Amino acid sequence: MDKNLEELLTFYALDALTDEERELVEAYLIEHPEAREQIQELSQAASALPYSATPVRPSARPKQLLMERIEADQRKRSSIPNRSSHVRPNWLENIFWGSNRFAFGALSLVIAALAIGWVVILNKEVSRLRGEVSVLGDALLAQARSLEQINQSIDQLNAELPQQPPSAVRTIEFNGTTVQPQAYGQLIADPNSTSAVMVVTGLAPLQPGIVYQVWLIQGDTPTSAGLLTVDADGQGVLLLVSDTTIGSFNALGISVEPEGGSQQPTGDIVVLGDL
Amino acid sequence: MHPGNDMTLAQLSDEILVAHVARGDSAALETLYERYASTVLGISLKIIGDQAVAEDVLQETFWRVWRHAASFQAQLGSFTSWLFRITRNLAIDMYRQRSTRPPSLDTVDDGSEFDQIPDPTANVAEQAQSSLRYQQVRKALATLPMLQRQVIEMAYFSGMTRQEIAEATGEALGTIHTRARLGLQKLRLELEKQEFEG
Repeated sequence: MDKNLEELLTFYALDALTDEERELVEAYLIEHPEAREQIQELSQAASALPYSATPVRPSARPKQLLMERIEADQRKRSSIPNRSSHVRPNWLENIFWGSNRFAFGALSLVIAALAIGWVVILNKEVSRLRGEVSVLGDALLAQARSLEQINQSIDQLNAELPQQPPSAVRTIEFNGTTVQPQAYGQLIADPNSTSAVMVVTGLAPLQPGIVYQVWLIQGDTPTSAGLLTVDADGQGVLLLVSDTTIGSFNALGISVEPEGGSQQPTGDIVVLGDL
Repeated sequence: MHPGNDMTLAQLSDEILVAHVARGDSAALETLYERYASTVLGISLKIIGDQAVAEDVLQETFWRVWRHAASFQAQLGSFTSWLFRITRNLAIDMYRQRSTRPPSLDTVDDGSEFDQIPDPTANVAEQAQSSLRYQQVRKALATLPMLQRQVIEMAYFSGMTRQEIAEATGEALGTIHTRARLGLQKLRLELEKQEFEG
């Protein structure tokens, strides 16, 4: 493999080459399949870099402007103008002023007579259709009145139904205690819901016979929310399900317990935080 | 738009949604926007550092998705790779137009301002998945030696060439090459260990 070009492969994967350098690499890749494999591996890592940026929820403005642009684009696409150039060909002049003009005149009279007959038939059809439109119009009016009555009933029902609180998903962060200060977690939950998702990193893998147990705490009373399994890197995800809403609890904790869990926390508290 | 259609669209994969967008389905584009707007804005803000301008880049990114959806080819890479590439290129161009010097990374993005304002449109499963990816990548980057991480972030988030990085750091070009290569290789191995799915 060309040593000079090999040095460019990493920056090709990072999309950080000049245009000239990029063309050189792409030409090189066509000829050298082994280099393509190396690029693919490096690109896998480079493609993860965007996820290292902290996600930020945007204001309503960009979406509003975007959808307005799209709407305008859709309107523009649906109105395609018809344009034609008016070019009178020579054969048309021959028909009007050439030797066949008398035959053309007779043919024109026949066509005119047929056209008049066709107009009479069409007028009768138009009258019939006007009658049908009138009948349909009356039916539409009746349906509009029914719809209005239905809408009024819906409004009345809505006024009688209890108001439901809007969804409000929150993300709450937790840190490890002095026992495991490197631990870190996030609880993603709607306080009005009875379920939540917990994502944890940095917990030390446990020896056989002991487990991590998650607790939801109300006042001084902990309630078990499940056992958390972590992988060799100390990462774990747990779906918490509770009998009462998540918002009814004021704290969350994780402790080390004997295998199978405990009725109450008995071991070291490794994560603790307020909800 | 009926609620039933919203739920159906939210269940579709990115690639199928892009195909819908290519056929002029604005609801499909709206679904992709809801799915990735926060990540796109985060990338843009990291590069530009100005929320108002970053939101302009966000809008322009999805406008380009709308206009060029038909040119997306799933066999060449994932939708997110395509989307984030558009974002990065737009953000770097925007930054260069506003500044004569390449952007620096003096302001460290340590994730301490993770948005916790309630989002009534949030899909809990998608948000959990996004949170996991974010933690995995940041943890993997944290295992890199600082100088390797610096070179990679300067190349990716600042759009600096090798020569510009060498000049900014005062290091030889060969040193920059080595740090970038070793850093990306280590990043790949760390992400593999964490079973990262992009």
